[in-house]
Amino acid sequence: MNAPFDAPPSVPVGTGMSIYDPILIGIDEYGLPVHLPLIYHNILIGGEPGAGKSMLLHNIVGYAAMCDDCDLVLIDGKQVDLGLWRGSAAEFVGPDLDHAIYTLERVQGVLDLRNSYLLDQRRQKIERGDGMRPLLLAIDELAYYAATVGTKIEQEYFSALNRDVAARGRAVAVIDVSATQRPSSDIIPTSLRFLFGWRFAGRCVDDSSSDVVLGHGWAGRGYSAAKIDPKNRGEGLLLAEDGIPTRVKGAFLTNANLLRVADYAAAKRREARDTPPNLRAVA
Amino acid sequence: MSKSNRRNWFGGSNNGRTVTVIEPEIERTQRRKAKIAFFVTAIVTALLAGTVFSSYVHPILGGFLGLLAGVLLGGTVAVLIIIWPVLRIIWHWLPEILLGCFLVYGWTWLMGATPVWLSLLILAVIIGAPSAIGPARRAVLSAFWCLTVRHRLRMCFAAFIAHNRQRTLPFILFAKPTPAGERVWIWLRPGLSLSDLEQEGQTQKLAVACWANESRVTAASRKYAALIRIDIVRRETLTADVLSPLPDHVPDDMPATALASPATPPVGLNFADVPGPRTKRAPNTNTRARIPRNPEPSSEIDPSDYA
Ligand SMILES: Nc1ncnc2c1ncn2[C@@H]1O[C@H](COP(=O)(O)OP(=O)(O)O)[C@@H](O)[C@H]1O
Ligand SMILES: [Mg+2]
Repeated sequence: MNAPFDAPPSVPVGTGMSIYDPILIGIDEYGLPVHLPLIYHNILIGGEPGAGKSMLLHNIVGYAAMCDDCDLVLIDGKQVDLGLWRGSAAEFVGPDLDHAIYTLERVQGVLDLRNSYLLDQRRQKIERGDGMRPLLLAIDELAYYAATVGTKIEQEYFSALNRDVAARGRAVAVIDVSATQRPSSDIIPTSLRFLFGWRFAGRCVDDSSSDVVLGHGWAGRGYSAAKIDPKNRGEGLLLAEDGIPTRVKGAFLTNANLLRVADYAAAKRREARDTPPNLRAVA
Repeated sequence: MSKSNRRNWFGGSNNGRTVTVIEPEIERTQRRKAKIAFFVTAIVTALLAGTVFSSYVHPILGGFLGLLAGVLLGGTVAVLIIIWPVLRIIWHWLPEILLGCFLVYGWTWLMGATPVWLSLLILAVIIGAPSAIGPARRAVLSAFWCLTVRHRLRMCFAAFIAHNRQRTLPFILFAKPTPAGERVWIWLRPGLSLSDLEQEGQTQKLAVACWANESRVTAASRKYAALIRIDIVRRETLTADVLSPLPDHVPDDMPATALASPATPPVGLNFADVPGPRTKRAPNTNTRARIPRNPEPSSEIDPSDYA
């Protein structure tokens, strides 16, 4: 045996994936892969029920779960989708508005801590490799918390917290990914919608719904998610880096694959957590 | 002869009815522009050239030479301006013209160079191969669509895109095949803008005229607002499922995952199993539900909805 030193063979090796790298979410009309660099960005996902919003979230959250350098906070009013990634999440919130608010307050606490640290360091931004773990906040069925359960005051407080995370989280590597069917102003305040720089519109019922997701005027230029074939699940318009919506077919994960990836990611995270820090440094 | 049925140049008489290639107003403005351009160019060139020539030859001779140069250059510019509409038509049909020339001269040359049976054989191969080989057929078809789309778009512009006062139409540059259809670049003339193409229903009209499914318009350049791009979509390319690469990162020796607890029977999950009227209402005291709202929020345009 010619190993240079006797490290126990059980030292975990990470997956080598990083949230700072772009995430592959599907292919475009040209058959080319579409990569979405999520770090320092927020994305709003819309579309009718069954459009493929949760599948896109699975792609994003699944990638983040496999990353060695990303924490997950998952909020899902329907539980079943993001619940699969519970084992990898720092916090998972089901249909419980109080819990959701409490969790967002914790995320807000992270923002405050990181911002004062950055102020101490006289820096403005978190960067790769400086020891702070990016945090992915994924919310599915946003309308459940922002317009369905609880009192109006609680709902507004939830939206205000979400807005704060979206606005201040960018520079401190907190990523806000929110999905809801039709993000009109009664569900998500316009001021919050503006904070989502990137949009994904799955199939929509009409042109105006598509414009609500993508922004005013795109339907008039022919970029309308209402033209998507309702049978073609997972297709949508992605408005990201180019500034022009691109037709994208989202990547698909079968249920078996979802479970496989989720279990593997959870096991990897458990391993990393259980490893003493001195061994982690070796790995 | 009344003004309306005056013969235009390039307008031929056909069964007594005039077929006009270039409309009278355009012809008039073209003539005026040509005159102005002629005089401006001629005078400026004459002065400059006259001065230069005078330092080499006798000043009077130099003056005449300068005048001659001015008239020549001004004449050329004026002719170019007058025939510009025709040049545009030639540009528009250039691929077809080249193709036609190639076919005619190619065939004549082939017949001259080879025996008849060989010419026919070569012809059969040239026509037969693309129709038999898939990729070649698709390439020929997409080239055909590119050519067609340019003409269809021009018809659209002439028919319903807002004209400017001189009735100049957008200049159609190139068309390129894409997997989903074609992409055409357009140069807008003064008086037009992208928003003219964004009017209600305009993109649908373009799609109909191009025998396509959809069309989309966008600015094609960050530098020039006049350069726009039209995407014509006639094929659905995104129907197949795309498999996510995430499972590839999971090692094969990862134990297969069992469902959480397949033994749990699905009992107690029906309506009857939910307790009856509760004495206390759930904490949902959502007051908004009681405020009368617009019956159909999506039918009206709420400006705050667009962000
Ligand atoms: N990218 C995709 N490719 C193929 N099928 C998809 C894709 N995305 C979603 N689907 C199908 O559509 C169904 C509904 O998708 P889902 O993401 O749950 O919709 P939503 O969350 O928008 O209501 C999924 O069960 C899946 O079968
Ligand atoms: Mg869903």
